[in-house]
Amino acid sequence: MALTDYRADAMRCTRCSYCKWIPFDLVKSHQFAKGCPSIEAGKFHAYSAGGKLVTALSLMDGRSEVTDRVVDVAFKCQLCGNCDVACKMCRYDMEPILALRELRAHLVEMDRVPESYRPLIERKRAALAGKGPKTPADRNAWAEGLGLKDPAVEPVDVVFYAGCKYSLEESLRETVRTQVRLLQLAGLTVGLFENGCCGGLADKMGYRDEAAEAGARMLKQWADAGVKTVVTPCADCRHTFTRVYPGLDGAPADLPEILHTVELTDRLVKDGRLELTTPVPLTVTYHDPCNLGRQGEPYQVWEGVEKKIYGQAVVYDPPRPRHNGANGVYAAPRDLLAAIPGVELVEMERSREATWCCGAGGACREAFPEYSAATAAERVEEAASTGAEALVSACSRCELNFAEAVAADAASGGPAAGMQVHDVLELVALSTGLREEAS
Amino acid sequence: MNPSYAKPTTPAAMATQSAQLSEEAYRALEDIVGAANVSRDAAVLDTYAFQWLAELVRPDQSHYMPRPAAVVLPGSTEEVQAIVRLANKYGLKVKPHGTGWYHWSGPIKDEDATLQLDMRRMDAIVEIDEQNMYAVVEPYVIAAQLQAEILPLGLNLNIPGVGCSSSIVASACAYHGAGPDTYYMGGNAENVLGMEWVTPEGEIIRTGSLGSGDGWFCSEGPGPSVRGICRGTLGSRGGLGVYTKCAVKLAPHFGQTEWNVEGTLPAYRLPVHENLRVYTLAVADWDAWAEIYYKIYDNEIGYIFHRQFNLAGADLSPAFWLMHNDASKTLSDVPEFVADPKIAELTEELRISFQLILAGRSRDDIELQDKILEAILDEVGGWKVERFCEQDMAEFTNVYLQRLGHKHINFVWAGGYIGSWMQFGTPDWVKGYVPTAAAGLERDAAAGKLVQCGGDAMMGSGSGIPLGGATGLEQFVSYDPDDYESTVAGIMHMEDAVKDAASISYPPGKEFLYLQIGWTDEQIWDALAHAKQPQAFHYQRQIKEAFDPNDIGDRMYPTLPEGYEAGS
Amino acid sequence: MTNLIDGLAALVGRDNVAADPASLEEYAQDESFVPRLTPWAVVRPGSAEEVQRVVARANETATPLVPVSSGGPHFHGDTVPSVPGAVVLDLRRLNKILRIDRRNRMAVIEPGVTYPQLQAALAEEGMRVTPPLLPRANKSVVASLLERQPTLIPRYNFHLPEPLRSCGVVWGSGETMFTGEAGTGPESLEAQWQAGGVQADPKGPAQTDFFRLLTGAQGTMGVVTWAAVKCELLPAAHEFLFATAAELGELVDFTYRLDRVRLGDEALIVNDAYLARLLAASGAALHPDELPTWALVLGLGGREHYAAERVAVQKKDVTALAGEYGLTLRPSIAGTSTGEISAALVGCCETPWKLAAEGACADVFFVSTLEEAPAFVEIAHIVADGHGYAAQDVGVYIQPQHQGVTHHVEFSLPFDASVAGIREDMKDLADDLAANLMAAGAYFSRPYGSWAQPVYNRDAAARDALRKVKAIFDPAGILNPGKLCFGAPKAPAALVGKEV
Repeated sequence: MALTDYRADAMRCTRCSYCKWIPFDLVKSHQFAKGCPSIEAGKFHAYSAGGKLVTALSLMDGRSEVTDRVVDVAFKCQLCGNCDVACKMCRYDMEPILALRELRAHLVEMDRVPESYRPLIERKRAALAGKGPKTPADRNAWAEGLGLKDPAVEPVDVVFYAGCKYSLEESLRETVRTQVRLLQLAGLTVGLFENGCCGGLADKMGYRDEAAEAGARMLKQWADAGVKTVVTPCADCRHTFTRVYPGLDGAPADLPEILHTVELTDRLVKDGRLELTTPVPLTVTYHDPCNLGRQGEPYQVWEGVEKKIYGQAVVYDPPRPRHNGANGVYAAPRDLLAAIPGVELVEMERSREATWCCGAGGACREAFPEYSAATAAERVEEAASTGAEALVSACSRCELNFAEAVAADAASGGPAAGMQVHDVLELVALSTGLREEAS
Repeated sequence: MNPSYAKPTTPAAMATQSAQLSEEAYRALEDIVGAANVSRDAAVLDTYAFQWLAELVRPDQSHYMPRPAAVVLPGSTEEVQAIVRLANKYGLKVKPHGTGWYHWSGPIKDEDATLQLDMRRMDAIVEIDEQNMYAVVEPYVIAAQLQAEILPLGLNLNIPGVGCSSSIVASACAYHGAGPDTYYMGGNAENVLGMEWVTPEGEIIRTGSLGSGDGWFCSEGPGPSVRGICRGTLGSRGGLGVYTKCAVKLAPHFGQTEWNVEGTLPAYRLPVHENLRVYTLAVADWDAWAEIYYKIYDNEIGYIFHRQFNLAGADLSPAFWLMHNDASKTLSDVPEFVADPKIAELTEELRISFQLILAGRSRDDIELQDKILEAILDEVGGWKVERFCEQDMAEFTNVYLQRLGHKHINFVWAGGYIGSWMQFGTPDWVKGYVPTAAAGLERDAAAGKLVQCGGDAMMGSGSGIPLGGATGLEQFVSYDPDDYESTVAGIMHMEDAVKDAASISYPPGKEFLYLQIGWTDEQIWDALAHAKQPQAFHYQRQIKEAFDPNDIGDRMYPTLPEGYEAGS
Repeated sequence: MTNLIDGLAALVGRDNVAADPASLEEYAQDESFVPRLTPWAVVRPGSAEEVQRVVARANETATPLVPVSSGGPHFHGDTVPSVPGAVVLDLRRLNKILRIDRRNRMAVIEPGVTYPQLQAALAEEGMRVTPPLLPRANKSVVASLLERQPTLIPRYNFHLPEPLRSCGVVWGSGETMFTGEAGTGPESLEAQWQAGGVQADPKGPAQTDFFRLLTGAQGTMGVVTWAAVKCELLPAAHEFLFATAAELGELVDFTYRLDRVRLGDEALIVNDAYLARLLAASGAALHPDELPTWALVLGLGGREHYAAERVAVQKKDVTALAGEYGLTLRPSIAGTSTGEISAALVGCCETPWKLAAEGACADVFFVSTLEEAPAFVEIAHIVADGHGYAAQDVGVYIQPQHQGVTHHVEFSLPFDASVAGIREDMKDLADDLAANLMAAGAYFSRPYGSWAQPVYNRDAAARDALRKVKAIFDPAGILNPGKLCFGAPKAPAALVGKEV
């Protein structure tokens, strides 16, 4: 892949600015019409997806050089995918999010990255080389006492992959343990490998080699153990497994079924294997994580060529699958919430494919903490506007960002003060009686 | 005027910016707006230079207009004034844009040092006066945002043809402002009330009642209407100062007050309220088309009135729209749809069709309007196109036309679209150019360098002036901006369209305005001087001399030099 | 002087120039309070070409011209010269209806065409032009529209200048052009009609709304030699309903709602004093005490298909709506018939009805939002009282415009001018009233006479802008100098020290 693969996308950008907004059909207010955190913070057109495309074109055309501003434009972006959804409302020939990722990879190859990236990627590289502060065994400390099996040697129903945040963040410990216990409560045998990062963060940062290395290891692990189903509570990891892994060199034709824990839990509830009987009287609003929602739909790797029909109409041979956010995981978390007695769901205006990013994605939580926090603050303000008591989601990074944003908002006397932040499955656990208190 | 069409052998050249901004001027800009709100980074500047349609008018079909000297993001009227005064001092051009969707939003001349004002920081809805039916907005409020706020109040607004992603201030003050709603709601020229205008000298003129301190509600006067100076058929397109606020008259809304769109993208659906009807109507020939428009005007029915779906080309339109409404399909599936015999029949049925949304204030009213429409259809031999009036397509049409948020579909075939023709006049007059326009596109697309969707790919509002009486049909010509030969075919089509119109004694259409962006001043003056009444442009020169003595506005506000006549 | 007369006679014919006192008297003063000033001559061109020649000559000789299109009496002071040495440019000989186009619902008329003349001709094609309230029979349609006189049907009023569309103009400089859509075609109406143009769009050409520089201009920018006007269809079914109230405020919300949902055709609010005078003009002699204090007069019209049913549906809807606001709609008022009301409002009046009551009348009018109107009425009462004028005699007419966004608010104060000193008292009252209203936020969008100075003091930016525009379109300042914010004409250098 090369940046020039997306030259046509840039040339066919019409500068319509749809990428800056949620799909217009869904706009319900002045305040919550915006869709792109990058341009909201960066302000210049360059920060929008269309602007990033033209930035790439300008570089490709030799009209400009990589400056600190260009680096900021390319990397101060959660890769949330709003642009991809909005553009594809009307277009079948544009792949904004892929182009944006390619621009990053291109700049990484030139070693033109934000300074805040360097310690991050060093840590990832060290972990890959087995030289990180946390070993794979350390990463599984959260699972102590849960009786998880080694899938390499024992048959399991599902392999659980926690992801870096759930593995290592103390504040999320109870949440991840609850998720496993829910699966066990439903009668599943849950397996856990010793392994490292899925490579997702490296991939989002543009470090494809590192991501490929991590991916290759994971794929081998699964293949060797004949894994059929992988379940993860991390929306980012799920995204990596479903969007990145299939395109890696040497990836098998059939990967295991990849599920987010909300998907699996929803199935279990619908199959009657989990009963939600204890009322949880709470008004909630649900935040669709970008990587579970619009970036979480079934994904097919495509290789082919562009061809023209009717003279100049752009199509693809073979036909290119359409990934426009239509088929993301929107229903499962909502069905779960609906199944919990006492829970009342109030939707934010920007929901489903039009969700406003939590701010954490695309390595922004790590690399641009102020920007990440500002993005989250916008979202918790929107959550507060619904009147809901709790903001719930299904992603560790979203929940971390929101918890911090709520605290910051409370400190300044804002509207989100007192708002609770939960994972969907915590509420499910309460309703099964598995837990008595949400964390 | 013809550029050399030999394919360039070098990529688009590095922009050599002969007109630079001095350090002193740049620092002064930083002082005015803050360092974070001004940039002269080359790539950032290129994102403002890059414009749709640039490739049709720039040397070597470059996709870039001239680079601005700097991009500035003003946050207030006072900052705009300061920037304008700075421009006067340093001999810079000032080019404001709202959302900036048109090649003339960018700088026009390579030799000018232009400050591109991106108005996005001024995005407040200042006031919504429900009782008096107007709203006051800053330049970066787009129509979608204001509509969303006022629908629950039982109000609506005219959204111009460019769609709801556009700046209300831009369409009301600085460009055109007509669209599918104009017939009932008025165009933005009729709807604009008070305007806050920072003149090219950096003074503020507040028009109408606003200037007298009496509020926003009246656009006229005092005495002669001051707004007449700066806003005619078109506004000044960024070439005569900066508009920092305006008020627009709103319209009644008779449908759902809760905006609950359903469906799977891109096939969003809005259930049709019981007081509304959403129809696709068709007639047998162009004479009947003109007849039915006149009868709609005379019978005073219709809330949204537009020939919308035909933009995809009469040969491909039903196949395209039905494909688009199946969320699992892509453009690759269009041939299959086309081959379907049912769709072939539908294609013939829809050849001369348009959309009409009726809105009634009561059940009796909407039922009566239905009867009136039936009587009209009977008279002209027209019909409702059943498939497009079925629930799924009616609900799609409903959200499409009410929100007008799918305007990027103009580019769906190949990423580039030119609007040619669109000469504005009575239905009787407009139907006169249809055969030539259609034949012209068929001819120009025959070599396969433009999308072959049938010669009639024309779209237009039922009336571009309120109350009816004037329409226009814009030919949608799709080209691939990533394909040199296709881009050149687009340019040649524009030149052909000018000649085709002249051959039937019609004036040139929209393409003529587009082409001019790439001309020299002399070529433009020659065109203006050949206008039937060029004196308008001499008066505009005098207006410019009076209000923009230091020439900080560019030629998007067109003028003729003193004494310039045709043949000069 | 003789040279002036001879010069003009050479342009328009001897019979069409007059300088005798009797001929000039009708132009020397009007019903307003502007000072009397007799012009030096009146010239009556018979064609657009003659108009152009007169204007060109006026430029050469620095002769102030005062365009007049209607017969008298005049009411606003704009047709009385403000400077000595003026020549009245009486356009009434340009009185042809140039074209009626039923299909496109357009009429093209010269400035001397009056309402009765035009309406009669249009009626033969089933059309009319939306009228102002009971114009006098010699009122020029073009003058009425140019001065933005409010028309009766708010839902047709998509912007205030409606139904005025394209125009032909001789600017003060003597240059000519067509405005609007007509400005994009050849400078010949016949050629445009031949090519299928109907002069329907008033905007432009290009980036300037030239016609807007002519509206409200009191003839100071250019002389309109023809105007295209949009026509409505005559309703096949038509009736009036009335909502009455003791307080104006009771009608406000209902009126807003009517305008918002575009119910009805004619819609206006009048008080008892005003309505009595209107009805008197059509022969219905009713004392204000017999009339409700406030009345909203609403016309319901039906055209084309299902005309009667349209009226019936509107009637049902408006009745229900009125009920929501606690109002009852009545089919008549004080026993008047639909015909009497129609005649009172929608027709033309042979004699100037405002003068019928007392012989003279002081009018103060402006535009505002409707909700502000009751407060302005209160001010009118207080000021009237303060000047010894009975508040209940103040006639009030409120005309919704621009589909309910703007409202013409008019206070009409008849008085007996034969009483010594009354004229000066009424002038003081009118000035005081205007000042108080302005201070309270009334927008005097049509600044006649003594209103001009305070209006342009408040809006100096508009004043400066308009002076720049004036310098472009009437550089010699010969068109109606002294009006609005414009001063005396500039003598051309060649004439300084010479006799004219």
